Amino acid sequence: MITFVAFSLRRAWQGFWRNALMSLAATLTMVLMLLLLAGFFVLQNVLLASLSFVEQKVEVVAYVENTATQEQVEALVAKIDGMPESASVEFVSREEALRRFREAQEAQGREDLTKYLEANPLYASINIKLRAPGDLDAVAGAVRDEAIVRNVLNIEALVERVVTVTSFVRTAGVAMVAVVGLIVLFIIVNTIRLAVVARAEEIEIMRLVGASDAFIRWPFVFEGALVGLLGSLVALGLLVAAADPLSAAMVGFFNVLPLQFGSLGRDTAMIVLGTGLGLGVLGSWLSVRTYLIR
Amino acid sequence: MTVSSGTPPSLFERLVGRGRPDRPDRPDHNVVVLHDVTMRYPNGKEALREVDLVVPEGDFVFLVGPSGAGKSTLMKLLIRDELATRGDVLVDGHDLARIPRRMVPKVRRKIGIVFQDFKLLPRKTVWENVAFALEVTGSSRRTIRPAVNRVLALVGLTAQADQTPTQLSGGEQQRTAIARALVHDPRLIIADEPTGNLDPVISWEIIQLLLRINELGVTILMGTHDAEVVTALRKRVVALEDGRVIRDETGATYHRED
Repeated sequence: MITFVAFSLRRAWQGFWRNALMSLAATLTMVLMLLLLAGFFVLQNVLLASLSFVEQKVEVVAYVENTATQEQVEALVAKIDGMPESASVEFVSREEALRRFREAQEAQGREDLTKYLEANPLYASINIKLRAPGDLDAVAGAVRDEAIVRNVLNIEALVERVVTVTSFVRTAGVAMVAVVGLIVLFIIVNTIRLAVVARAEEIEIMRLVGASDAFIRWPFVFEGALVGLLGSLVALGLLVAAADPLSAAMVGFFNVLPLQFGSLGRDTAMIVLGTGLGLGVLGSWLSVRTYLIR
Repeated sequence: MTVSSGTPPSLFERLVGRGRPDRPDRPDHNVVVLHDVTMRYPNGKEALREVDLVVPEGDFVFLVGPSGAGKSTLMKLLIRDELATRGDVLVDGHDLARIPRRMVPKVRRKIGIVFQDFKLLPRKTVWENVAFALEVTGSSRRTIRPAVNRVLALVGLTAQADQTPTQLSGGEQQRTAIARALVHDPRLIIADEPTGNLDPVISWEIIQLLLRINELGVTILMGTHDAEVVTALRKRVVALEDGRVIRDETGATYHRED
C-alpha cells in the first residue's frame, strides 16, 4: 500500500515535469480560473454587506404627542427596546428634531426659514431601527396603537420596494457566483482532460502490459491534485499581494459602509484551495475513467 | 491437432486441452482456446464468425488473411479489449467472459503484445520503456533491474539501454517492444504485423528473434502479410477470410497449396 502510494506520487511528479508545457498550461488555467472565482466571491460578499447596510437604513419613525410625559416616553422606549424585531431605539426630542432640520437645511445651502417661526412646529419622535426590514409592518402596527403616539411615518410602500430590490440582487448575486462556478468547473476539468488525452498512448500501453486500473488512475489523480494545489497556491499568493491595495481602495470607495471582512479572507482561501484541489482531482478522475471502462 | 490417441476429443477436452505428448512435464496446456466465437460490433458488422482455434503451449502460429478478415479483432478478444458476442475465449485456462474485472490485468500479464508501430514512449530510454511494463504492474524496484537487464540481453540491446527510441533504428525499436512484451515472462506473445514497418533484412532479424523466444517455450501468435516469411518457415498457418477460419494447417505456406 505504501509502495503503491509512493509509486503513484513519484509517477505523478514525473508525469508533471516530463509534460511540463501541458502541466504549466493547466496550472496557469487553474490560477486564472481560481482568481476569477475568488474575485466573484469577494464581490458577492461586498454586495451582501452593502445590501444589509441599505436595509439597516429602514426605520420606523413614530411621532409623539406633545402632551406625553417624560415617564410615558421612557416607558415606551423601554418597551420597544424589548421587542425582538427592534435593533435599536432612539428618542429624538422636539429641540433635537429642530436642530437636525436646521443642520440639514444648512448642509443643502438653503436659507433657514425656521427663524421666522414663533414656536417649534416639529414633534418629538421615537426612531426604531429594525433587525429585518420585513418586520416593518409588525413594529409599525404595534407602535401605532400606543396612546402617546400621534402617528407613524408611512413608509411601507418604500420599504416594500427596497426589500424587493435587495432580495432580487441577493438572488442574482448567488446565481452569478453559481454560473461563474460552473464555468470554472468546466474549463478546469476540460483543461485537465486535454493534459490526460495528450498521454493517451501512455495509458494505452499501461493497459496493454496489464496495469491494474488503480495503477493507471492514481498517478493521474495525484498529478491533478498537484496541478490544483500549485494553481491554488499561486492564486492565493496573488490574492494576498493584491488584498491590501484593494481593500484600501475599497474602504476609500465605500467610505460610509461599515464593512466587516473578518472571515472573508479565510473563506476565500478555503474556497480557492478546495476548488483547486477538488477540480484537479475530479478532472483527472473523470478523464482517466474514459480509458478504463471497456 | 493436439490429440494423440485414437478417440475423438470431447468438448471439455478441446476446451481445457489434452496436453502435449512431447512435454509430459507440462500436461494440460492450451494457451489459447476459441470455441465457436462470433464477434459482432455494435454497428452490426460481423468481424468473426464461428471461429474455433486451439493453440497448445509452445506453438508458433501465423495468422494470415487480407485486411479486414478479422485478425485484429481476434487479437483484441485475446487481450479482452473486446468481449465475444458468442462463444468461449480462454487464455491460459481463464474464460475471459467470466473472469472478474480486476482479474483482467493479471491475465494480460500472461500475454506480451507487439505492434507494427512499436508503441514506445518517446521520452523514456530503452531501459525505462521496458521497465515501465513492470513498474506499472507493481513490481518492486529490486526485481525490475535484473529482469530488464535480462530481456535486453536476450534481444541484444544492452548497449542501447540508455538511448531513446528516436535514436534507434526501426529494428532496434521493434526489439525494444519485444523486450517489453517479454519482461513479464508471458505464456503468449501476440505480434500484430511486427515486421510491417521494417525492410526485409531487418524483418528477418525480428523473425529470428521471435523464433528464438519460441524455442524458450513462449507460444507465439503472429499476424502477418509477409508471404515470403510464412512460406519459408513452414510453421502452422491459420488463414482468416471474412471472419471465418478457412484454413488451419501445420507446416504450411502463405497461400493454399493445391
